[in-house]
Amino acid sequence: MIKIEQAAWDVMVSHARTTYPNECCGAMLGSVDGDQKAVQVAVALENAFAGAQGAFYQLRPEDLIKADAEARRQGMDLVGIFHSHPDCDAYFSKTDLENSCPWYSFVVLSIQKGEFHHANSFLPDPDQTVAVQEELQHPR
Amino acid sequence: MAKILIPTPLRQFVEKKDSVELSGATVGDLLAALTSQYSDLRRHLFSDEGKLRSFVNIYVNDEDIRYLSKDATPVTDSDTVSIVPSIAGGRHGS
Ligand SMILES: [Zn+2]
Repeated sequence: MIKIEQAAWDVMVSHARTTYPNECCGAMLGSVDGDQKAVQVAVALENAFAGAQGAFYQLRPEDLIKADAEARRQGMDLVGIFHSHPDCDAYFSKTDLENSCPWYSFVVLSIQKGEFHHANSFLPDPDQTVAVQEELQHPR
Repeated sequence: MAKILIPTPLRQFVEKKDSVELSGATVGDLLAALTSQYSDLRRHLFSDEGKLRSFVNIYVNDEDIRYLSKDATPVTDSDTVSIVPSIAGGRHGS
């Protein structure tokens, strides 16, 4: 289960709405206790994909290193990655799976006509063949 | 000894440490030392064929070793090595 606190959620939804109709991405910082994750801070990161960003996102590893350093400074952990699907449901696509990493929760936000619609969280496997859905709790 | 930063989900394999200090002349030496000391970590970084998993990048300070000398990239005591995943995606291809 992953629970996202209000301040972090506000950053995620706002980043996804601002970047619409492009896909956005970012990092989620917080704590992990077994399979329970809590997200206190969300960091909006730049979509580094060089082509059309309406249906693709790419995180810069350098930005992840910075997000991880920020988490360490605040005594937190990097627990997940978020990205948006403009005018599309919050599923984990084949492209998402093939470019994923099994170490983190992947939260997908569906943005429909520029407004938040719904979100889901996924846990990809090490072979990038399947992602199981994880219970997601977020503020309204 | 160079410092290797361990991502949160892998700390369970290194006695819950958030970084590990090891000696080695190159990145390859460090990774070999790391995964022999903590053998459970190995399969999370390397495939069965012994190659770094496709989503695993190794950085020395701010530089991707792919653009330095890969495994042969030299490391000194003041260097920090990061294990960073490649992450991307896209809404198509469901
Ligand atoms: Zn996606």
